[in-house]
Amino acid sequence: MQSFQFYSPNYLEDALKYIADRKQTCRTLAGGTDLIPMLKKEEIRPDYLLNINEVGELKGVEDLDNQVRIGATTTFTEMIESETLNRFFPLLVNAAASVGGPQIRNRGTIGGNVITNGPCADVLPGIVALDGQLELQSKQDGRRLVSVADVLVTAYETSIRSDELLTGILIQKPVQGTKSGFEKLGRRNAMAKARLNLSIALRQDPNGTISAVSIVPGAVMPVAVRMNDVESMLLGRKPTPVLIQAAADKLVEVVVNTAGIRWSSEYKVPVLKNIFKRVMWRVLAEDPQ
Amino acid sequence: MTETIGKTKLTFTVNGRETEVLVDPSWTLLRVLRESLGLTGTKRGCEEGDCGLCTVIMEDRAVDSCLVMALQAQGKTVETIEGMGHEHALHPLQKAFIEEGAVQCGFCTPGMIMSSEALLRQNTHPTVEEIKVGLSGNLCRCTGYTKIFKAVAKGSESGGRL
Ligand SMILES: Cc1cc2nc3c(=O)[nH]c(=O)nc-3n(C[C@H](O)[C@H](O)[C@H](O)COP(=O)(O)OP(=O)(O)OC[C@H]3O[C@@H](n4cnc5c(N)ncnc54)[C@H](O)[C@@H]3O)c2cc1C
Ligand code: FES
Ligand code: FES
Repeated sequence: MQSFQFYSPNYLEDALKYIADRKQTCRTLAGGTDLIPMLKKEEIRPDYLLNINEVGELKGVEDLDNQVRIGATTTFTEMIESETLNRFFPLLVNAAASVGGPQIRNRGTIGGNVITNGPCADVLPGIVALDGQLELQSKQDGRRLVSVADVLVTAYETSIRSDELLTGILIQKPVQGTKSGFEKLGRRNAMAKARLNLSIALRQDPNGTISAVSIVPGAVMPVAVRMNDVESMLLGRKPTPVLIQAAADKLVEVVVNTAGIRWSSEYKVPVLKNIFKRVMWRVLAEDPQ
Repeated sequence: MTETIGKTKLTFTVNGRETEVLVDPSWTLLRVLRESLGLTGTKRGCEEGDCGLCTVIMEDRAVDSCLVMALQAQGKTVETIEGMGHEHALHPLQKAFIEEGAVQCGFCTPGMIMSSEALLRQNTHPTVEEIKVGLSGNLCRCTGYTKIFKAVAKGSESGGRL
């Protein structure tokens, strides 16, 4: 590994100043589970490494008035152990619990999952499903909020600037009655990076009509994105086997159209349909929060 | 903290002892443990987080030391297999591994013991399912895992570290 200068500030202000002065020649290091393998293979050769793990402002889950803020360097393990997340966003807790093995969950962070923007990310699709916002900060512009869906350009690429840090993820607390589900299929070994995952959140009227729904499959699209066409089929309707089957067909159609025809010949088509129907029915059967 | 250029001082606690060592910022914690401190009980395998051979406990949690930069351990507490027990006073988990026949070639054992220890600190009486999850970041090519899971269950009954 090529050497670099290493900086580990305790305060956000110092971190922001450091990258503002260095931009492209500097890389941000959080849990290192994505970055350190890249450094070893010399796929990247930064002159400076900014370790953000000691910056207090980036850590932990905060219960704000009507939203929850997850600090960028909150680890998957900390997410799993957070009472606030268990209460409001079990979807994210389940997604975090599905990541790697314990060693990866103890180091890997939610911020790293977003910025890497890998097609196989497990937690990022959940953030997209919940319409999360990213809190970005830079020395030049201070703080700005952007919708997570707006910065995911394509696999492994975001539109976040090189002088910006992701400082937190903000998510509106769910409206009463919201239910959610997550499922991941991988190799049997828990270390498998996701091959396929699905995040769903929805609400129903007292009479059963679906009044809000958000569906994000992972590891099948170039980036995590809500399946608007499938969602609109379900909105305002009561769930029936015929409707859910039609939605499953639609989901696969959208994915095949986007990800290309080769994809359709793989085993993933029937698997995606089944996982969708299974998670949908499970969430529908659940009592609302 | 100031920026570090070239070799720099890393001060951390290793197996209960305050330790100071000069490191290059590009070194991993694994390299410092093995090469600077001679703690070769921690094994080197895939170097990318897949095998768990390099597992140590940092701040009470299992981590792959190949995926931690040495300077990220600044001021932290690190425990390796050398801190668990020794020939004449085995740690209960080490004893259980031997008694259950959970050691064949032994290459995965230090990492397995560190992951097991970290698990038992969070969960004093894990179920088999919880043990499987707790050790899912550690690969073993020899044993087929069953004896390892049994050993951890036994280690927890005999008190583990309790
Ligand atoms: C063995 C193994 C198994 C894995 N299994 C899974 C899995 O099952 N599911 C899954 O989703 N992922 C998995 N991963 C990938 C990885 O653990 C996750 O993507 C994790 O979220 C990365 O976070 P990190 O803190 O380690 O990021 P780092 O490696 O520190 O950083 C990743 C990238 O984000 C940038 N960055 C990090 N934080 C910030 C910030 N706050 N602001 C700006 N830029 C930032 C870095 O510069 C870098 O480009 C696995 C990785 C390994 C090695
Ligand atoms: S050597 Fe660290 S996980 Fe394989
Ligand atoms: S005993 Fe040989 S790898 Fe586990």
